[in-house]
Amino acid sequence: MRLPYYPGCTLYTKAKPLNETIRSCFNIVGVELDELPHWYCCGTTFTLARDNRMSLIAPLRILTKAQQEGKQVLVPCSICYNTLKRANFIFSEDREALDIINEHLEEKYDGKEEVIHPLEFIRDNQDMIRNKLKKPLSGLKVGCYYGCLLLRPAEEMKFDDPESPSIFEDFVRLLGGEPVEFALKVECCGSYLVVNTPDAAVNASYKVIKNARENGADALVTTCPLCFYNLDALQTKIRQQYPDFKDMPIFYFSQLLALALGVDENGLQLGQNRVSPEIVLKKYGLL
Amino acid sequence: MITKLNIDKEFKRKIAEISNQRISDCYQCGRCTAGCPFAMFMDSPPNQVIRLIQLGMREEVLKAQGPWFCAACLVCQTRCPKGVDIPRVMEAVRVIHLRAKECILDIPQIDYEYMLDLPPLALMSAFSKFSF
Ligand code: SF4
Ligand code: SF4
Repeated sequence: MRLPYYPGCTLYTKAKPLNETIRSCFNIVGVELDELPHWYCCGTTFTLARDNRMSLIAPLRILTKAQQEGKQVLVPCSICYNTLKRANFIFSEDREALDIINEHLEEKYDGKEEVIHPLEFIRDNQDMIRNKLKKPLSGLKVGCYYGCLLLRPAEEMKFDDPESPSIFEDFVRLLGGEPVEFALKVECCGSYLVVNTPDAAVNASYKVIKNARENGADALVTTCPLCFYNLDALQTKIRQQYPDFKDMPIFYFSQLLALALGVDENGLQLGQNRVSPEIVLKKYGLL
Repeated sequence: MITKLNIDKEFKRKIAEISNQRISDCYQCGRCTAGCPFAMFMDSPPNQVIRLIQLGMREEVLKAQGPWFCAACLVCQTRCPKGVDIPRVMEAVRVIHLRAKECILDIPQIDYEYMLDLPPLALMSAFSKFSF
């Protein structure tokens, strides 16, 4: 089986572990990822101004390329996924907007490509994973951090219940781990506020991690490179501001998947996780 | 003080057009502010920004810090009982500033080491929300 694949910029730079573990996992389960040729940035965060049509050009070009490769395109980064899916919603619902943009571009797009997230692919192909499980994550208590962009706006993302989702927990259960419920799993980590008002992101990430800890989580898992940065890299600053804070390792969902599929320690790419997950993984005999 | 004279109808219309929202639908229940993770950083939280726009108080809206602390997390959009897409309204306020060439993010002022440490999607997002 082959699947068109859009990694996005950050998966080639700061989120290499996400890119590489996705690739090795899909390889193991027998899905070949066809990276789109000559792709570019999706523009990151989706524009909320109705008259900003410029921001729809990059998504349209990406979706046109994807369509040449297949009916669905796999997008692991939450921001790319949200931006492409929201732009696609406009292209499929708002003929006028689509026509205006098509008119100015060489590419012509019909609004019919489907943007899917690896968690959706896995939900729909559970046996594929189950058959290849080598090391179930027995005992590991994981808080599934959805953040914002996979879920909202619910009418457009159609990913899961925006207030009480379960697709991520089902994923952890599939890998043999124990998902931990916590209220702030759908709350923002601070997102791009980290650039100019880092205190807002430090505060938000502190609350998320603390809430997960209070509910018994050993670690948090995320799909988003920006959530990953805020939750992982900001822990040094969190500790300085909140003396009661205790570190918590953060994983990309694909790192846990790789672990359960038996990828070797090198292949897990845990070296870039600033809060080392070693102690937690050793505690459950997973490393 | 609000008088008929200082209600800026054109400003209200502009915000409604860019955001594509019926601002007058808001009945000030405060649910948006109750759930906003960054309300505590805002001098005027989401429901107040909406109220100031309803009253056509252009100067006050343009002075408000609220829109610059909105992370477009869309929690309020999910919860507003009146279906107001508040982050679109926040974005409209931001783009009015940005299109007037006023921005709060001075890119050369970002600490270089910090910039190298941040993931590109954080920078790109902040550039597009906070600069022109
Ligand atoms: S939740 Fe909606 S109706 Fe309530 S104050 Fe906010 S914008 Fe107004
Ligand atoms: S979208 Fe903006 S205003 Fe609404 S809850 Fe999130 S940060 Fe607050």
